[in-house]
Amino acid sequence: MEGKEGHFTFAPEGETGTCYVYEGPVRLWHWINAGSIVVLAATGLLIAHPFPSVMGEASHHFLMGDVRFVHFVAAWLFGGGFLVRLLWSLVGNEYSRELFHLPLGDGAWWSSLAYEIRWNLFLEKRARKYYGHNPLAQLAMFIFFVLGSVFLILTGGALYAEGLGEGSWADHLFGWLTPLVGQPQDLRTLHHLGMWFILVFVVGHIYMAIREDIVGRQTSVSTMVGGFRIFRK
Amino acid sequence: MSVYETQGFRLDNSGRRVVVDPVTRIEGHLRCEVNIDSNNVIRNAVSSGTMWRGIETILKGRDPRDAWAFTQRICGVCTGVHALVSVRTVEDALGIRIPENANIIRNLMHATLYAQDHLVHFYHLHAMDWVDVPDALKADPRETSAIAQKISRWPNSSPGYFRDVQNRLKKFVESGQLGPFANGYWGNASYRLPSAVNLLAVTHYLEALDFQKDIVKIQTIFGGKNPHPNWLVGGVPCAINIDGDLAAGAPLNMERLNFVSEIIDRTIAFIDQVYIPDLIAIASFYKDWLYGSGLSGKNVLAYGEFPDRANNYHPDNLLLPRGAIVDGNLSEVHPVDLRNPEEIKEYVVHSWYRYPDETKGLHPWDGVTDPHYVLGKNAKGTPTNIQELDEEGKYSFIKAPRWNGHAMEVGPLARWIVGYVSKKSEFKEPVDDLLGKLGLPVSALFSTLGRTAARGLEASWAAHKMRYFHDRLMANIRGGDTSTANTEKWEPSTWPRECKGVGFGEAPRGALAHWIRIRQEKIDNYQAVVPTTWNASPRDPKGQIGAYEAALLNTPLSNPKEPLEILRTLHSFDPCLACSTH
Amino acid sequence: MSETVYEVMRSQGITRRSFLKFCSVMAAGLSLGPAYVYDIARALETRPRVPVLWLHGLECTCCSESFIRSSHPLAKDVVLSMISLDYDDTLMAAAGFQAEACIEDIMKKYPNEYILAVEGNPPLNEDGMYCIVGGKPFLEQLKHVASKAKAVIAWGSCASWGCVQAAKPNPTQATPIHKVLPDHQVIKIPGCPPIAEVMTGVITYITAFGRLPELDREGRPKMFYSQRIHDKCYRRPNFDAGQYVEHWDDEGARKGYCLYKVGCKGPVTYNACSTTGWNNGVSFPIKSGHGCIGCSEKDFWDKGPFYKHLSNLTGFGVEADADELGLIALGAAGAGVAAHAALTEIRKPGKEDKEASSGESGHK
Ligand code: HEM
Ligand code: HEM
Ligand code: NFV
Ligand code: SF4
Ligand code: SF4
Ligand code: F3S
Ligand SMILES: [Mg+2]
Repeated sequence: MEGKEGHFTFAPEGETGTCYVYEGPVRLWHWINAGSIVVLAATGLLIAHPFPSVMGEASHHFLMGDVRFVHFVAAWLFGGGFLVRLLWSLVGNEYSRELFHLPLGDGAWWSSLAYEIRWNLFLEKRARKYYGHNPLAQLAMFIFFVLGSVFLILTGGALYAEGLGEGSWADHLFGWLTPLVGQPQDLRTLHHLGMWFILVFVVGHIYMAIREDIVGRQTSVSTMVGGFRIFRK
Repeated sequence: MSVYETQGFRLDNSGRRVVVDPVTRIEGHLRCEVNIDSNNVIRNAVSSGTMWRGIETILKGRDPRDAWAFTQRICGVCTGVHALVSVRTVEDALGIRIPENANIIRNLMHATLYAQDHLVHFYHLHAMDWVDVPDALKADPRETSAIAQKISRWPNSSPGYFRDVQNRLKKFVESGQLGPFANGYWGNASYRLPSAVNLLAVTHYLEALDFQKDIVKIQTIFGGKNPHPNWLVGGVPCAINIDGDLAAGAPLNMERLNFVSEIIDRTIAFIDQVYIPDLIAIASFYKDWLYGSGLSGKNVLAYGEFPDRANNYHPDNLLLPRGAIVDGNLSEVHPVDLRNPEEIKEYVVHSWYRYPDETKGLHPWDGVTDPHYVLGKNAKGTPTNIQELDEEGKYSFIKAPRWNGHAMEVGPLARWIVGYVSKKSEFKEPVDDLLGKLGLPVSALFSTLGRTAARGLEASWAAHKMRYFHDRLMANIRGGDTSTANTEKWEPSTWPRECKGVGFGEAPRGALAHWIRIRQEKIDNYQAVVPTTWNASPRDPKGQIGAYEAALLNTPLSNPKEPLEILRTLHSFDPCLACSTH
Repeated sequence: MSETVYEVMRSQGITRRSFLKFCSVMAAGLSLGPAYVYDIARALETRPRVPVLWLHGLECTCCSESFIRSSHPLAKDVVLSMISLDYDDTLMAAAGFQAEACIEDIMKKYPNEYILAVEGNPPLNEDGMYCIVGGKPFLEQLKHVASKAKAVIAWGSCASWGCVQAAKPNPTQATPIHKVLPDHQVIKIPGCPPIAEVMTGVITYITAFGRLPELDREGRPKMFYSQRIHDKCYRRPNFDAGQYVEHWDDEGARKGYCLYKVGCKGPVTYNACSTTGWNNGVSFPIKSGHGCIGCSEKDFWDKGPFYKHLSNLTGFGVEADADELGLIALGAAGAGVAAHAALTEIRKPGKEDKEASSGESGHK
């Protein structure tokens, strides 16, 4: 089945077929992205709270340097991936756009959102079926993930600019942010808070994805693996 | 119009009012008003601190381990002393003991401040009250050279040397751009130095300006920068590593210690060969200008300073003396207890603050800093354009501290009087020696000039103590002790839920103490009572005047349009207004 | 007649050759190529000393104290030969109305030619009367002198950012000067205090070239403020290696390891300490074993505590750092998920009722 462009759709109650939702690039991106976030959070925390000191000559070690390097590699993957994913939404299928575009003017979307909230509060008896994201997931992804990612990329970029120095490409691209948020230490605090913001999403997101597989009437995790959504009775 | 007597002074504000604002060559914003009689003699004096920043308020709720940095910014002139007293305060509250080396290094840093601050005060803040700068152009450099060589073995003393300086000064004056010397009171009848001595002083003004920056490098070595070096609750941040692995990268190693030692030698030489001889030479021309006694012959207070051994703040262990003298009774030195709720109290009846009951004073542990700017009803002008203050109302951002109800003078002179009457030869001999050279009686000490002289003697004393402490530090390290910090109680989890403490010291300008209350790891109340708070104090509920006001009384002005004598006496206290109000 | 800097220097017995040498040292000190030597020389030969009016607001005077510590050039030479320090209440001979007259003289004689240097800042509370000069609010004096200034320099963190008296709750409403002088480009020389040679370096740049130094986004001269302490810190190899001072006076402290874990703010602080050094390069905070507290950064007093990497955030009546807040949020999310999972297990939604509850399709 195909939804119509520009209109929010959910699957009919009786739907039992399959639907191709996530194209290859989206799936690949999703898992790379998930991995990079885990690495970023781990290395980020190690940057803030480094390993116990190693002794001896400085020239014999590069522990913090490595941790930071891994953070930056993952940051490139994450930031670059985000950009690629954004571009893909221009050429990919309808579902690839859902992440970046909330159909706020669409009454059906809002009522489905209300339905999903009731469903998650155990006020509805049956799960609704969706070809793409359910509106609650979509909203959460937009607020926590899309905005959170932009925030982390900007603040991370501005932090990176501090390292590369004034006049660097990163400074031109992100340097303006620092006086806007206050000063460099504020940047750090905000980048740090951004991490927790995303991690809160990750916990809820993974739970919901797995739960949907179990109690929803459609596949979820396997959809993100194979691309197809299979609806159950 | 009012006339009354207090502390043996007669105050009469009926005469012509003379206002000096800004008082310059001090730290911060001080306003002074006096009334002069028909003979141009000061009959009433009003000292007003005209700035307030609220550091005590800002400290509330913060980490006590950070307090030193905030309080340090109370003043950049006596830089470090508030930080030192602050770490002592927190250590007292938390029961932290510091290593011997930390105590020595703190003493070294503090003595460094004494030497530099006193030197700068004498040459750069005070000298122009006694030295007529343009008059130095009239001097014969050969004569200056002869005087210089007679009074000191300081090597920069050739006629050519003084001629070069004179030429530089000449070109400067001829440029028409007089800079900081513009509008000075040059030619005023109160200047008494011969031209040759004026040239000597001007030359040393420049030389001291060059040298003072070297003295403070000791603070830079231990604390990383000056002004405002770094301190640490529990010790000092500069770890020692003499010959271990990577000693070259350590904050303190052999090279650093030698650096300090070399500066100490030069400091001793400069103070003993330039400052002290100049002081005596200049004073010898002002021997009969013995005004400005004020409270110095009546009530003086010193807390004591430079703990010889770490963690012992008993007077016996303090190299500078502790005690109070009241009502001019020099034969009795009273003990001072900073914890006694009855001894030290601050009043605000004439200060721009509010208390629930302003007839009473508050001990600093229970101190309140609640600003309240209002002018007295007889003030002239408007609240934002003051013409004349009304000393019967509130008139200063400085609180009025009192010791057992008395207004006290603090500072080098107070310390040296307490030391002198305690018959400690360390203090008595230099004073007697100086008085002997000038042919003056002991009573001459109680004067503007006495204040200035005591500061000079103390600068020399401090410089020699730097040598003493450096030797002690070397001996400790030789004995294998390289410890600089105690971190047992660094973590707030080791602190009591509630505690209070007091730390004290002698700042260059006098007795200084901070009081703290800590609750649940945070500062609950923080109060500082500062040397200039004592000296520049406004009146209290009984109408008692502070040291500045007292010292100005009965001084004749040679020209009421030129407040030279007022500056002279105020400067002898080395006013610091940022300190006084904080 | 006003003399030029060159004439003043010549008259002090400085030869033409050593004058040119001075110019080249200055060019090198300002990181300028040899081509600039003659620019500097020409500038010094033809200009009278620039009048400087140095005002004091709410502050601790440590910026002045720092200034007089300058080694190259010597403060003495700056005051005698490079500028004309026509007002500075900490150093000037005159007091009271004679002092105030100095200001008026210069404003009349050199309109739009003098430099206004400000140490400290104006409080706005109580109609400005938390800082009174000559019976009036300092704010008034500041605006008055700024009105005809050619350039305005903000000395130190007080004038640049507000500094200690502007720390929360800023009882006097102390305000950085650029906020009350909106029509002026303010050159900020932050630091608590700034490094002496940075202060005199900026002054000599202006007097020598007759123009203002290039400024960054925040209005700080790029020549001294474009790098962080961390970027040129000699302990950076220890940072990269993972070698830290864990506690005061530990093995790492004695070996000069990185101070990151005891709260060093070098990675978030723009200043020249790790390059220029303090007091003629003798040391700088880190070299003497204490972390940087960030004293040249905006509102650094409220980014503490000083001995922790993360700032404490206050609000909602609690005080915690980003990690403490984040862990609480994450814990709450985890607990919510666990509770929801448990309820899901108990209620088994969607299992008991197979009937359609919302039959129609969403197609429109
Ligand atoms: C750091 C971790 C992760 C992040 C940031 C993340 C982020 C996202 C995002 C942004 C999407 C939307 C994809 C799109 O529309 O293009 C998504 C979808 C999805 N993710 Fe993740 N993901 C993470 C980890 C996981 C994990 C571990 C699983 C599986 C256990 C998972 C399962 C899913 C599923 C099933 C969907 C599709 C949901 C739907 O269609 O409504 N994700 N994820
Ligand atoms: C999910 C995404 C990200 C997370 C969770 C994350 C997390 C963190 C954390 C916790 C820190 C430590 C901050 C501190 O010192 O207190 C950090 C530092 C940093 N992050 Fe990220 N970050 C992310 C993305 C990025 C991105 C996209 C960039 C862009 C280049 C970036 C660049 C940096 C930089 C430059 C630092 C400072 C490193 C240093 O000072 O040594 N981060 N990050
Ligand atoms: N009064 C005072 Fe200070 C001193 N000495 C401090 O305690 O100057 Ni700023
Ligand atoms: S910037 Fe800091 S050092 Fe300078 S005056 Fe202000 S408080 Fe003092
Ligand atoms: S000591 Fe501070 S500035 Fe130096 S490398 Fe470590 S964190 Fe950076
Ligand atoms: S505290 Fe200040 S002095 Fe330099 S190293 Fe940091 S900026
Ligand atoms: Mg107080």
